[in-house]
Amino acid sequence: MWLSCTPGSPGRAVGVTITNTGLYMRALIVEDEPLLIEDLEQCLLEEHFYVDTAESLQEANDLVAGEPYDLVLLDLGLPDGNGLELLKSVNKYYRETAVIIITARGETEDKVKGLELGSDDYLSKPFPIAELRARIHAVLRRKFKISDNHISGGPLEVNLDHMEVQVNDQPLDVTETEYKMLRYLILNKNKTITRISLAEHIWGNRIDDRFSLDFISSHMKNIRKKLSEAGAHNIIETIYGVGYKLTAYEAE
Amino acid sequence: MKLNNKILLSNTILTLVVFLFTSVGIYYLVNKTVYDELDNHLLQHKIDIISQVGQDASSLEQIIELGRLGSYEWIEIVEYDGSVAPHENRFATIDTLRNPEKEVESKSYRQLTTTVTVNDRYYTLRIYEEVASWADISTTILISVLAGLLIWILLLYVFNQFVLDRILTPFYHTVDTLENISDPSDFDESLPGTSTYEVNVLNRALNSMMQHIRSSFEDQKHFIQNVSHELLTPLSIIRQKAENILSEAESLDKETIESVSDIQHTAVRLSRLSDALLLISRVENKQYSLDQHIAVNEVVEEVTGELRDFIEMKEIAIEKKFACHIEVHGNGELIHAAVYNIIQNAIKFSPGGSTITLATCCEDENPRFSVRDQGPGIPPEFINSVFDRFKKIGNPPDRKDAGSPGLGLSIVQSICHLHNFDCRAENRPGKGAEVSILF
Repeated sequence: MWLSCTPGSPGRAVGVTITNTGLYMRALIVEDEPLLIEDLEQCLLEEHFYVDTAESLQEANDLVAGEPYDLVLLDLGLPDGNGLELLKSVNKYYRETAVIIITARGETEDKVKGLELGSDDYLSKPFPIAELRARIHAVLRRKFKISDNHISGGPLEVNLDHMEVQVNDQPLDVTETEYKMLRYLILNKNKTITRISLAEHIWGNRIDDRFSLDFISSHMKNIRKKLSEAGAHNIIETIYGVGYKLTAYEAE
Repeated sequence: MKLNNKILLSNTILTLVVFLFTSVGIYYLVNKTVYDELDNHLLQHKIDIISQVGQDASSLEQIIELGRLGSYEWIEIVEYDGSVAPHENRFATIDTLRNPEKEVESKSYRQLTTTVTVNDRYYTLRIYEEVASWADISTTILISVLAGLLIWILLLYVFNQFVLDRILTPFYHTVDTLENISDPSDFDESLPGTSTYEVNVLNRALNSMMQHIRSSFEDQKHFIQNVSHELLTPLSIIRQKAENILSEAESLDKETIESVSDIQHTAVRLSRLSDALLLISRVENKQYSLDQHIAVNEVVEEVTGELRDFIEMKEIAIEKKFACHIEVHGNGELIHAAVYNIIQNAIKFSPGGSTITLATCCEDENPRFSVRDQGPGIPPEFINSVFDRFKKIGNPPDRKDAGSPGLGLSIVQSICHLHNFDCRAENRPGKGAEVSILF
């Protein structure tokens, strides 16, 4: 539960896992756009990271040389060079560091090259923060071999690796799409998730958005029905005109 | 036609013309010489006879007698019969049988008809001489001249095949190099210098031209990358700021939420649009390698899997009529995108509960993959422009808002152009539309 972000209880449940630095996890954001750094930093702080930022390749190289990071968010198109250079050196000295590439150059060759050079994931701009949060979860779990693959929110428990959902310890039968939606919501619990970001998470960004939003609504209707039949009423809230929120306050 | 074949052809035509004129000319010239010579000969005979009978008139009988006996030439002297005017020399060539009893074929003779006066009496004198022996000589001359010309033509051919080929080798090298360029970046080594001035000039010009093309191609590639970066990063910021606001939706009033939602939707739409345009421009700039081996049927299965959610939700039945396996060379990612766009389009325009037919067919010259739906079909005014950029085909039924710009099918088209495939959209008799790719 070290990564769950619950605004009501900041700072708790962090550092339970073994990390490079001990208690807190360290993250480095390499991005040349200050306005974007703000949002990324905000998200990582909510996830209880110590955050450093670098706006150029040089700055990032200096930071990486002095500090082992657990997570690096890396933009490829930097003013003074290609972020892939940094990826090479990070991967050479700190194999433990998880790297997520964030780039506007949605070219497959970049993606393939990045993954070949040892990045752990790849996100094309623009992306919703919720998607980044879900990716960070997945990457860190994989990287640090976390065996507890369940994440719970109230009566709901979702297995992050297999298609398993439980309500009040009873298995719930869901379709693949429903599972993906629930997993996304629970990874971003207590956050409002817009319908667009939900649609993009499930079908990728090639699908026509006008076409897919209706489908999100009808899938959500099915999920709600299944959840309330299993006894979890109203854990997913509809934020009118925006999207959904899975509310789950931890029992202290 | 190849250049050296053209040169060979023009040389041959020229030679044939020369050949024709020369043979006609030689034939005429030789004949004229032969007949002049014969006529001289005949006149000499006449002079001989006149001087003979002038000295001794009584020898006339003897001449008539002996003159008949000559084998190649003979003489006839008869009483003046008025066939020629007195003292006139008339030459003629006649074909006749000298001895109808003995000979079968008629022969050609030169005949001189004239008159002689013996003791104040006129006689008609006819002197004959056989032409055949002379004609043989002219034929021999003609044949030897023609044989010489024939040898000349053969020499020209050999010259063309070997010497000309060798001279033109650098030129053909240039042509071959150009023919094999499919992409400016293929042109990595410049064309070499040669000893032929014109080819050198050509190669130099081509080298500098290709250099220009290559550098502008590179520039364009960088430009596209930069534009995507410069466009998408700000869009990313807009989108994230909007989502930040929306995540605190509880504290906002309804109008603010609606406006921010609109901002978010627009940012998403804009980024999809720039993605699509960038994809098209990358395809049109040939920035994809086309060396993968692709099983089209598998791609179709993959795509229907990805779109399964939508198919199920709309309760659309997918009917697969795969008559054959289609395998092509190309870019897997792009072909996937093309198939995805066509099928997504069909789902979008299909009414709930209808059937979409996916079919492959290899009976015609080109294998064909087609998607048929039972939707409203393509409005007739758009039938020719469905693949054009930003042309919208109406909106799916039951939708209030304007559809997204119709870039899906233009992506399909540019991908097809890149692969040299053909794409078609047509209305089916009855109901629905059919979009197909001909590989």
